[in-house]
Amino acid sequence: MSEDPETGFAELVAATNYSFLRGASHPAEMVAEAIALGMTGIGIADRNSVAGVVRAWAFLKEQQVKRPEVVEGFRLVVGARLVFADGTPDIVAYPVSRHGWGRLTRLLSTGNLRAQKGDCILELQDLLGHCDDLLLIATGGDEALLRTLKQARRKSVWLAATMSRSGADARRLIELERLSAATGVPLLATSDALYARIAQRPLHDIITSIREGTTVQKAGKLLRANGERHLRSPAEMARLFKNHPKTIEQSTKLLACIQFDLEDLRYEYPHEPVPPGWKPFPYLHHLVKTAAERRYGTPLQPKVRRLVGNELRLIRRRGYVYYFLTVYDLVRFARAQDPPILCQGRGSAANSIVCFLLGVTSVDPMKHDLLFSRFVSAERDEPPDIDVDFEHERREEVIQYIYDRYTRDRAAIAATVIHYRPRSTIREVGKALGFSEDVTARLADTSWGSWGDEVPVERLIEAGLNPHNGEIERLHRFVGELLKAPRHLSQHVGGFVLTEGRLDELVPIHNAAMEDRTFIEWDKDDINALGLMKVDVLALGMLTCIRKCFDLMRAHDLGNHTLEVDIDCDDPEVYGMLQKGDSIGVFQVESRAQINMLPRLRPEVFYDLVVQVAIVRPGPIEGDMVHPYLRRRNKEEPVEFPEPSPPHPPDELHDVLGKTFGVPLFQEQAMKLAMVAADFTPEEANGLRRAMATFRNVGTIENFREKMIGGMVARGYKQDFAERCFKQIEGFGSYGFPESHAQSFARLVYVSSWIKHYHPAVFACGILNSQPMGFYAPAQLVRDAREHGVEVREVDVNDSHWDNSLERRADGSLALRLGFRQVDGFREEWAAQIVDARSAPFASVEELARRAGLPSRALRLLAEADACRSMGLERRPALWDARRVRQGVLPLFGAAETDELGAEEDAGLPPTPMVEHVLTDYQTTRLSLKGHPMAFLRRDFAREGVLSAAEVAAAKNGSIVRTAGVVLIRQRPGKGNAIFITLEDEGGVVNILLWARHFERYRRAVMASRLMLAEGEVQRSKEGVIHLMATRIVDRTAMLDTLGSDRRFDPDVCRADEVRHPQHPRGYAAKHGHPRDVRILPKSRDFH
Amino acid sequence: MRIASVGAKAEGVGLRVGMPLADARAQIGELSVVPFDPVLDQDWLDRLAQGCARYSPLVALDAPDGLILDIAGTEHLYGGEAELVRDVEMRLARLGMTLRHALGPTADAARALARYQTRPAPDEGQAIRRLPVAALELEAEATTALVRAGLKTIGDLASRPMANIAARFGADAAMALRRLLGDAPSPLAPRIALPPVVADRRFAEPLGSTPHATKVLAELVDEAIEELGERGKGGRHFRATFFRSDGLARSIAIETGHPTRDTGLVMRLFAERMDSLADPLDPGFGFDMIRLAVPRLEALGASQLKLEGGAVRAANEVAAIDELADRLATRLGRGRVRRLRPADTHIPEQAQLALPAADAPPPLPWPAPEAGEPATRPFHLFDPPQPIEVIAEVPDGPPHHFRWRRQAHAVRRYEGPERIAAEWWRRRDNGGLTRDYYRVEDAQGRRFWLFRHGLYDEKPDPRWYIHGVFA
Repeated sequence: MSEDPETGFAELVAATNYSFLRGASHPAEMVAEAIALGMTGIGIADRNSVAGVVRAWAFLKEQQVKRPEVVEGFRLVVGARLVFADGTPDIVAYPVSRHGWGRLTRLLSTGNLRAQKGDCILELQDLLGHCDDLLLIATGGDEALLRTLKQARRKSVWLAATMSRSGADARRLIELERLSAATGVPLLATSDALYARIAQRPLHDIITSIREGTTVQKAGKLLRANGERHLRSPAEMARLFKNHPKTIEQSTKLLACIQFDLEDLRYEYPHEPVPPGWKPFPYLHHLVKTAAERRYGTPLQPKVRRLVGNELRLIRRRGYVYYFLTVYDLVRFARAQDPPILCQGRGSAANSIVCFLLGVTSVDPMKHDLLFSRFVSAERDEPPDIDVDFEHERREEVIQYIYDRYTRDRAAIAATVIHYRPRSTIREVGKALGFSEDVTARLADTSWGSWGDEVPVERLIEAGLNPHNGEIERLHRFVGELLKAPRHLSQHVGGFVLTEGRLDELVPIHNAAMEDRTFIEWDKDDINALGLMKVDVLALGMLTCIRKCFDLMRAHDLGNHTLEVDIDCDDPEVYGMLQKGDSIGVFQVESRAQINMLPRLRPEVFYDLVVQVAIVRPGPIEGDMVHPYLRRRNKEEPVEFPEPSPPHPPDELHDVLGKTFGVPLFQEQAMKLAMVAADFTPEEANGLRRAMATFRNVGTIENFREKMIGGMVARGYKQDFAERCFKQIEGFGSYGFPESHAQSFARLVYVSSWIKHYHPAVFACGILNSQPMGFYAPAQLVRDAREHGVEVREVDVNDSHWDNSLERRADGSLALRLGFRQVDGFREEWAAQIVDARSAPFASVEELARRAGLPSRALRLLAEADACRSMGLERRPALWDARRVRQGVLPLFGAAETDELGAEEDAGLPPTPMVEHVLTDYQTTRLSLKGHPMAFLRRDFAREGVLSAAEVAAAKNGSIVRTAGVVLIRQRPGKGNAIFITLEDEGGVVNILLWARHFERYRRAVMASRLMLAEGEVQRSKEGVIHLMATRIVDRTAMLDTLGSDRRFDPDVCRADEVRHPQHPRGYAAKHGHPRDVRILPKSRDFH
Repeated sequence: MRIASVGAKAEGVGLRVGMPLADARAQIGELSVVPFDPVLDQDWLDRLAQGCARYSPLVALDAPDGLILDIAGTEHLYGGEAELVRDVEMRLARLGMTLRHALGPTADAARALARYQTRPAPDEGQAIRRLPVAALELEAEATTALVRAGLKTIGDLASRPMANIAARFGADAAMALRRLLGDAPSPLAPRIALPPVVADRRFAEPLGSTPHATKVLAELVDEAIEELGERGKGGRHFRATFFRSDGLARSIAIETGHPTRDTGLVMRLFAERMDSLADPLDPGFGFDMIRLAVPRLEALGASQLKLEGGAVRAANEVAAIDELADRLATRLGRGRVRRLRPADTHIPEQAQLALPAADAPPPLPWPAPEAGEPATRPFHLFDPPQPIEVIAEVPDGPPHHFRWRRQAHAVRRYEGPERIAAEWWRRRDNGGLTRDYYRVEDAQGRRFWLFRHGLYDEKPDPRWYIHGVFA
């Protein structure tokens, strides 16, 4: 023990911004600053949480690789700052061993599970019950507490001493020293840091004001008097504590007591799935082998045997056996239900024959040759990634099965770290800075466009604010600083972490906002960094739709299908339908952009669908790969492979790009390209992949730019090609599509197209019963079904069910009967009551009310929806009768089953004009089978020379026309150079394209029209895709109001409409969205 | 945020009430937006109503934007209904208002016609029958149902049996219909302004002596206070006006910090004021009228003694201080008497505010000093702090010697620093100098509060100041 201050110092009480709204620095920032200040080490302890420690740990590990000489010897210890509910001063706890870590996480779990979401209720007794192998730092000078702790943990208790600069530091320190001497608890010097650098004090004041719901101006003493709670260099600490040098030495002493490192967290997947008497690997081997023989016959082809052998060896060597068996177990459970729950795996596992044979995925790797075996590559010391999609309506069953089978002690969902979203950040920071609501709202509310990681200055100008105004500048600055910060934890959409041992000894568990859900404190990046494994139990609407279709087909003798491999993906008729762009409702390829692409790509075989799914994505579009691909595929351009200069082999890219005509389209190709053409090591390529995958780190991908482009050019590739390749990789960053994903999705594209083509009534029924999903509103889906010759019948009290259903027509074909679910505001239980009571047809509204026991609201809804026609009542008389029926039936009349109401003279209601019928249909069921509102305006429009959609479709290329219709979709994709609008009239749709330079002029009309008139030039591509290049937009909504309706006619726009349903790019949602709002299947923004 | 109201121009381009403001901005780049202030609107309507009292004593508010005037029997004053309407229109136009009006046989009918009429009609009866059913102002659902049933106008409804309508839409709907049609009375709730309390006394023989006048004033105060008590109010402002028989009048006013009904207090304040008048009250040929007005009233509940008695002392003490403050303010001017109030900030000189006692909000508790701790702030702060010359340890050590007002002090004991950073949000650069405060004692045992303005890494050569002296 020397007296030399150079012995070093480690800050052991440091909070990060994972102490939500208390700490101001990111864990990595804390560690970086500690290293820069020359500390011996740092201890990260957040408020009742270990949520941030993995970030700190991962950062240090990265530094150890990058700058080994700088971080040599630097230690990171992780723990938590325990904040008690019983008034005990905070205690910082560090585990010294794996056992201690388990005690700490169990302690935190206990507190978490006791509380509602987001809180942790701890008492001193809890700590005393869990304090084995923990080092404790008490922060308050309470003698009794110190003695209690000392008794519990003998030599492992310290007392924190700070220089808070509150005036009486010297006196307080002497008091603490006395306490220390009296209790034998050594004093430990600390800064009790809340941020890394003193410059972060303003940010800390802001978050304090946000926490306290006040403004910095009014917060007063809620803010700290000074900015002393930052990290200090050992020399500075030695100077501050020069009268108490031992307090400095204690920090290194404490550090030396700790052996635990997060690296020690190893865990095992549950052993349950292995039946008694089996060892895990032989069992997996057995399963795979039997499945292989069943599928490919005996003896196995050598290729199959080789593939299976390779994969199994890798799985065994990496210790993933239990993991595969666990996933298999989930899938088996889903299939064993009655009716079975449809499921399909994706992720890198889709390339794996083992997964295919286990039934996890449905793409046969033998049949659909995959480009590369990305699945668990040797160089990637990373666990495999298996995502399984289940029917969205039944995923909960799978989740509850997991909880039942593995118990809540061993299964929980991963967390999602919710970061500050730009809009709410502007509001909150603005509020904390004392801005009035209207200024922040002005800034935060913009209808299109989105915010990335920052708030660009243009936004300020757009909002009419002067960016050079001091206040605005300040707002801008703090919003920027806070945007990178985590805000709170929430549960991931479906990533489950399962363990053989107790999960709460690995990581603290929280109660989720949803009942019966628990989640762990770490998110998927943390789990990845620690090498833990998770299985994603996701929900997919299309699977629900397909299952419902299969059920309907079984019920109507149309064959017994399952999602497994029995539909071959090679029916030319199905491809024929897709080639026409006839794909409304079809999985993935139903967006406007996809529909336009289909006639150009003309898919003929399954692999074309794989390409189709992947090509209308930011990556290929921003990399300008779409048109070259189309030209080459359509043989308008020779297939050439970019070649390096000698001595490199000229055909080195043939393997990589062969299947896609020399154009890189998939994420794997971009990676492989980097390795082959830019000499990336597998590790670097992997880093590149990670940079692509982690949207959070959009910045990191820049680091690879130089290397990739430089490498390719050095090898003799053209600069232009290299740049495009890199652009594409950047595009993947916003949403990359690996081939394996595309393969899985392409199957669903095929299956849904197949049903749509052969059984359009079934398809329409299934998709309507699975709403909300997909791009289109029910009105468009019904319209599409009718265009495909399906008879659609109206909702009727004597025929409908809750769900839409199918009825046999006289000619044996199927008709779609709309269900009560299409009636706005109607309830499922009312529908059940009606169906139960429908032994004989209902003859009057009163009888319906009595027999089905319906409340008057239900009757009114039915009458307004014109669902009483089979009783001989059209809308008006039905409504007149429905309003007369009173709630509840008098028992005497009920017993006699007679009508209670006396006869009444005829009200003599005027007959309903058709236009009113149509408009009311839209208001009550959001669609009308009787007509389209535009039909009633056609005469007026025709007189003006406005063409219908059908006439536009027939117009000559280049002619200038005018057309009008109800607005379905407005989108402003990509860089926003063009606005896409889809209008609908009684005969079809017209796609309008408006260049951004015209937009400002017609802004109001574009944003506000429900009925829009567009004038412009008809452009017909050679594939027959028609666009109207608009030069003038007029809002004709007033015409709708002349139709004489009682309420605004406000038809549904599609879910793709960005004005009514603002969308955010993929990165936005992943970064900022609440996990419950994140679409499980991310939708691409549309690109052309 | 949603739009609460739109102007004609905005309506013309399609903006509607209830639309989210963001949508409106997305459509129209240049919008002028004013925050919705229902209180101000109500106030304005009130003032318009007051102004309309010229047309009729019966004016009712039809909030948020309507007035109903009962002009039966008053229209002839303007030369008929049409002339009266023209006069209203002209006056409102001068105020920048647009008028939408209707005349009707009942208040409900007039109101409905003004608000819902869309088509002209030959006579009032026809006009009412042509009104849309929305004019009944039923629930939205019922209105929609009527329209969907094909009954779109009041006339459609009126031609059907009332019983059928009542059976379907309730007795209220039938009643509303009957009122519109004039079959049922529609009462008017007129707006009555609360007149301030006034008491006056006229004298047949002018009063020649001021003491006598004061006595009469006391009686008037008693009367006024009795009326205040009946209304549950207290006066904050009392004004006595002495009318002299030669036509001159003199007003004397007093104010209190709190609403009061204490005659003694009011009279004491009047006495103070009269004593302090530079130009004393002069009866001249005598006062022929004295009037006391209480223009400013505030709610004041009856005070009650506690059952156990005596416990109201604390309140009495507060009242005594208030009374003293009132008296001093009456004598010295209201800005001169101030009350200190703690302010929530770390900056020492801003930690208290001195507000005029008459207007000060109820006092806040002062933070209690920590038990056993010495006073950390001196009683008196120098404003501004006075510069001193200091020899101190760099960077943040205590001062050893300092020179203040040409006198040297050697520091024997010290405590500190207490570090108080600047309020960065008040400065454009988000910065500001940090202060390090020291409590020091010199060789003579005198205690001072010194601070260094700025840390060494904020400023190369920070200055020292003395901010106060401990007692």
